[in-house]
Amino acid sequence: MFTPPLDTLLVFMIGTPAIGWVIHKKGYPKVQGIYASAGLLVAAYFLYGLSQEVSEKGIVLITGPLPFNPPFGACLQIDVFSVFMTMVYIIIGLFTTVYSIKFMERDSGLTEYYTLMLGMVAGMTGVVFAGDFFTLFVFWELMCLTSYALVAFRKQKWESIEAGFKYLIMSAAGSATILLAMSFLYGMTGTLNFAALADRLANTSSEGWLYITLALVIVGFGIKAAIVPFHTWLPDAHSAAPSPVSAMLSGVMVPTGACVLIRILLLVFSSAQPAWQMTLATFAVFTMFGGNLMALLQNDLKRLLAFSTIAHMGYIVFGFAIASPEGLAASLFHIVNHAVMKSLLFLCAGAFIRQTKTRDLRKLRGIRRAMPMTSAAFTIGTIAIAGFPPLNGFWSEMMIITAGVRAEMIIFSALMLTNMALSVVYYFRLIRVIILEKPTKVSKKTTKAPISMLIPILVLAFLCIFIGAYPVPYIDASSKAAEAMLNIRTYIDAVLRGL
Amino acid sequence: MGIDRIRLAGLTTVILAILIFWMFIVEYDFPAFKYVDPDQPPELVENDTSIIGQRVSRFLWNYRVIDLIAQAFVLFAAAACCMALLRVEERKR
Amino acid sequence: MISLSYYIACAVVLYIIGLYCLASKRNMIKLVMGLEILVNAAHVSFIAFSAYISPGYIDPLGHSVVIMSISFAGCVTALALVIVTYAYKHYKTLDVRKLRRLKW
Repeated sequence: MFTPPLDTLLVFMIGTPAIGWVIHKKGYPKVQGIYASAGLLVAAYFLYGLSQEVSEKGIVLITGPLPFNPPFGACLQIDVFSVFMTMVYIIIGLFTTVYSIKFMERDSGLTEYYTLMLGMVAGMTGVVFAGDFFTLFVFWELMCLTSYALVAFRKQKWESIEAGFKYLIMSAAGSATILLAMSFLYGMTGTLNFAALADRLANTSSEGWLYITLALVIVGFGIKAAIVPFHTWLPDAHSAAPSPVSAMLSGVMVPTGACVLIRILLLVFSSAQPAWQMTLATFAVFTMFGGNLMALLQNDLKRLLAFSTIAHMGYIVFGFAIASPEGLAASLFHIVNHAVMKSLLFLCAGAFIRQTKTRDLRKLRGIRRAMPMTSAAFTIGTIAIAGFPPLNGFWSEMMIITAGVRAEMIIFSALMLTNMALSVVYYFRLIRVIILEKPTKVSKKTTKAPISMLIPILVLAFLCIFIGAYPVPYIDASSKAAEAMLNIRTYIDAVLRGL
Repeated sequence: MGIDRIRLAGLTTVILAILIFWMFIVEYDFPAFKYVDPDQPPELVENDTSIIGQRVSRFLWNYRVIDLIAQAFVLFAAAACCMALLRVEERKR
Repeated sequence: MISLSYYIACAVVLYIIGLYCLASKRNMIKLVMGLEILVNAAHVSFIAFSAYISPGYIDPLGHSVVIMSISFAGCVTALALVIVTYAYKHYKTLDVRKLRRLKW
């Protein structure tokens, strides 16, 4: 059908309701979660095989069974960047699925939950594998639809429904904008294949309609990537969703929007590069400030983490706007680090919320005594995300700033440094509240988190320390992925000259 | 109708946007199919309503198989979404 | 055959009307209709380009994109209406300006 990893995810997504129906008769609800995690493990195994193939061939092209006619056949074009991002998705998906076996045990509708989680990972994988704009749109819709239902999953609470509706309206408007931009590109060139578009639009002199299409693409993908004028769905959606879903959304789905945006800008709009570089850098600075300033005012734990996601998306988009090999590699490495750190923080927050039934920071004071291991992992995650030296956040943020300075964007780099300093304020507030203050009535009465929820948390915390201590292989991998993204000539040749 | 402030602001913005766009389209013609590669011509179908359906289906099945299979999965996921949201909560009181 | 610019203008005007509908209508079901209008703008644009590629012929690529995209729009609408049903159950009104409990 498609490639093995994507096939596995889709087949397991269809198998989950079958398992759920059998389980319903017998009564072992945890088997569904174990089945979904097994699916992700099998997909990771196949992805390893695919990555071997990509590292020898450069680009793997998957077309339909009949002879492929480049300008209008659908295709999947897999390069190092796609494999890199899919590895992140599957690993974070695995951790959140294992965590939700225990976390979601009291909810109903678990069959649909695991189906939708697998569907979301499959959609994100397809989005980075796509070689044709409409194929990307199909998998983008898969990713979006599953995330709408996952945000509104706890439908008996008003908060989930309000957040879900707001998110759906804004995100579907973004998808419609992408479709309109796609139609203009089709009108200009007669094709929707990325390689053919890159080839045909490479040397256009300034064309007014190309700039309109560029604006539509930035708005459409920017709504999903939480760029500042279009970020308003994010805090509500991330606080109202169940915590494993928040970890997935915040850690991997929001950066997917940015990745696809930069992919399309590099490939299709390379002739308008100075224009989109400056635009993206300006939006990135607004995003950083918006996220950090709003996070200072929050009293709700998950809402604060959601605004922190917006700020980090600002850093990532700034790294992408630099568009040099160092900048892209820095942003990709920061996506990996942010995924690890932010999902760690959201999973710990989920453990706190499950045990204490409250999200208010003022009531969660001093919870260290009651939940020691979770608080320790939470502290490690907070120190890492604030960017302190021995942990992983420091390396990627410094790489982005150095790449910015080297590319002559000194004012933007200085603003990013200011934002990092600003963010330390609320991260330290989190640490002070969780660790140092005296426990309130609520936090004294809680019990420790169950062991099967602690395992993903501790593994992620260990990864933070491990990546921070020895970042070199990860920086190498991100550099290779960035090189593959910038290597447009190889990408075009793989399709148009036949591999 | 009851025009309140937001609706008035919205209508003004829409009319301004349409005017600006009209000035833009009169000035800059759309470069329709300007960047087509003459070596890779598309497979065209005659504009005849009796055969268009069949020919477009044939095109879809020949060239766009990946999209069609992925669309089947999207429809399945949409059904799963609606089932997730329309489920019945058991009352465990 | 009238010129292609009229169809493009129609598509963009539909898009602007769809955005207006999303921004200023109060009824939640009207917002869902606004989403449909937005998507239909892109559909009009695709079909127009597909017909103007060469006189007397059409390009099936544009038509195939529209066929598949209509079903996606249908899925999103179905999901949106389910959420609107629950919103009505919680808030007892279809006015989207009353959904303001989540602030800041």
